[in-house]
Amino acid sequence: MNRISLGDASLTNILARQGAALRTQVQQASIEVSTGRPTDLAKTLRGDVSPVLAIDATLARLSAFKTTAADAALHAAAQQSALSGLSSLADGITATLLGSRDFPTPAQVDTVAADARGRLESAMGLLNTQASGRAVFSGTATDTVPLGTSEALLAALETAATGAITSGQVAAAVAGWFADPLGYAAFYQGDASLAPAPIAPGETADLGTTALDPAIRASLQGFAMAALLDRGILAGNPEERGRLAQRAGEELLTSEDARITLAARIGTVEGRIETARTRNAAEETALGILRSDLGSVDPYEAATRLETARAQLESLYLVTARVSRLSLVEFLR
Amino acid sequence: MSITFALSSALSGLSVTSRQAEVLSSNVANASTPGYVRREVGLRSAEIAGVGQGVAVTGILRDVDRQLLAERRLAQSGDGDRGIRAGFLQRVEQAIGTPDSTGSLAARLAAFDQALVEAAGRPESQARLQGILTTARSLTDGLASASDDIQTARANADRRIAEEVGKLNASLARLEEMNGEVRSLSAAGRDISPLLDERQNLIDQISSILPVREVARDLNQIALFTGGGAMLLEGSAAVFGFSSTSTVTPEMTQALGGLSGITINGKPYDTTGTASPFLGGTLGALFTLRDDLAVSAQGKLDATARDLVERFSAAGLDPTLAPGAPGLFTDAGGAFLPGNEVGLSARLRVNPAADPEAGGALFRLRDGLGATSEGPPGNGTLLSALHGALTSTRPLGSTGFTPGVRSFAALTGDLMSDAASLRLAAEADQSFAAARLTALTDAEAENSIDTDQEMQALLVIEKNYAANARVIQTVEEMIDILIRLGA
Repeated sequence: MNRISLGDASLTNILARQGAALRTQVQQASIEVSTGRPTDLAKTLRGDVSPVLAIDATLARLSAFKTTAADAALHAAAQQSALSGLSSLADGITATLLGSRDFPTPAQVDTVAADARGRLESAMGLLNTQASGRAVFSGTATDTVPLGTSEALLAALETAATGAITSGQVAAAVAGWFADPLGYAAFYQGDASLAPAPIAPGETADLGTTALDPAIRASLQGFAMAALLDRGILAGNPEERGRLAQRAGEELLTSEDARITLAARIGTVEGRIETARTRNAAEETALGILRSDLGSVDPYEAATRLETARAQLESLYLVTARVSRLSLVEFLR
Repeated sequence: MSITFALSSALSGLSVTSRQAEVLSSNVANASTPGYVRREVGLRSAEIAGVGQGVAVTGILRDVDRQLLAERRLAQSGDGDRGIRAGFLQRVEQAIGTPDSTGSLAARLAAFDQALVEAAGRPESQARLQGILTTARSLTDGLASASDDIQTARANADRRIAEEVGKLNASLARLEEMNGEVRSLSAAGRDISPLLDERQNLIDQISSILPVREVARDLNQIALFTGGGAMLLEGSAAVFGFSSTSTVTPEMTQALGGLSGITINGKPYDTTGTASPFLGGTLGALFTLRDDLAVSAQGKLDATARDLVERFSAAGLDPTLAPGAPGLFTDAGGAFLPGNEVGLSARLRVNPAADPEAGGALFRLRDGLGATSEGPPGNGTLLSALHGALTSTRPLGSTGFTPGVRSFAALTGDLMSDAASLRLAAEADQSFAAARLTALTDAEAENSIDTDQEMQALLVIEKNYAANARVIQTVEEMIDILIRLGA
């Protein structure tokens, strides 16, 4: 049937539907303009959200690495500063000890021995350093300081050197105790080396230096040898006491190389951590930019869309108002 | 006597125009009544007393376009079907989470990953070990709540099937009754238009549930069949049978038992596949949702959960664990057996040995789940290994996804991308179906009441009435003249 009529409902339906569609567009565009994000991200990405998720996951992991790298940096810095403290303690006394055989009076040996004992105590204090509650030379036993008191150390050494009457015997006893697994190794209260700490994706920093390291052991051996003099070892034999002081000076001098090597090794780790931190930060920035590229709308485009939809909606309102007045009833009076 | 005939003709004209006015007023009054079909008065020229002329009403005609009606009903079924599918897939996507949502599975996983790295960097920190526990729990909670959402949707679908079947049975019974009413009223020669309107409305309602085909029978009767050919109404109405299940668990399916199928007059019918006569409407879509879409969504979730469990219970990862003992993630506290994959995502728990609230201790995250006493606090070896287990690529144990080696993050990404693309495809389908329905509804609305046209007709009726009245007046004058002649 060829119709010449058009149902009232037809026009009402069409106007209502177009109005609803335009209002939805306005709402979407205004949300996108104000938030800068698409209302349906999955649709923007055509259903494959994996790239965005991968970026988000990497960003989350980078923020974790930021924390762990900062921890590792603090740890390495604490080790480094303890080590440099140890070196300056040794440097300050080595020359004096080396010249102790030529001291005019035995009292001077006593003075330098007292100094050495003080330095031993400081050195052990430095090795017991804690960085944010973590003993840095204790290996995995981070809750325990690696070394006991200097008194205990010296007492153990005195026991080991019982009966020694020459400086050579004392030095051998001391060296033996430091090398003995039941000696210094048992005096050490820490545990095995720390596992490498994660600092960047797939990268770790070796923070495994403990108080058992040969450089630290040799330095302590030097200090302890001189400090034993202050405990009265070889009393009454100024000649041998002077010799022992000199041996102690030699010990400290030879351990200097080891200390420098260790400092260099820790310095390398610190460098690696710093590089990793810089790289992490750069990656974070780059990924952040990529993420906002993937998950954002062009504000100019969204604003244009909003403006278009608004203009269309206004026109539709106008049309609705005009068309609604077009009724034969109005004119049949 | 032709003057009397003229009077009768004019009178028949008056009665017909008043009838036309009556129908017209009904049309105008129902201009916005849904389901109201425009009526017209059918006219024919009439014979009066064998010789005279006049006009008579043949009946009230309903102005309905059957072809359009059938197409619109089909579109309505299609729209119902696509709407349910798209609604469910949207729900699944929301349950798993979108990349923007903070509670998405991927965000929970990223937090867990982050906690493992942070703890490996400082194993002695209680706060960081607690962080692992909290984020692990949040990950299992995320999987469990997604699984819950899917099962709730299945239970709702099951309940809605029962509702739709109830509606269907009631509508069919009412249609059978109406067929009888229509027969007796049309035999008595009464106006059956309102009944036909109501019958059409009822069939429209059935059309959203099932695609139906209406076949006209004698005496204004109709027969109804589904699109797939099953008989719904032929003299007597078919009775559908379905029993709903109050609690739906992942293990229950129609095939394996626990969930009801559908019967017509006691005979069971397929609810899926080409042999099913119900496909294409909300009823078919609800069955598809319950037995297919939700099961596959749950399967993917379970495959993801299984991969997570297997990663952390791999042999050699945690040396303190006995072979076969559950790892960090457990199947409801016990070890996971490959045969129990269905519903795993809802049963996933963090190992109680590491959970202080369940009588465990946090240090077991660092020292091994089987550790009896606390080891050195700085030991980060196991924590690094756990992070490695999470991020390494491994072949998938389950068949829920396409096989391949993936990291767990990649698997989660696949899960979320899969949900998003299924949702987008279903939405595209839905908008096609909706556009088709809109176009046909618009075409129907064009055939509805046009008040302008009715007003125009009113002018004609008014004019005809006046003309007929004038004829009567003139005939009266003619009769008067005759009477005066006789006087």
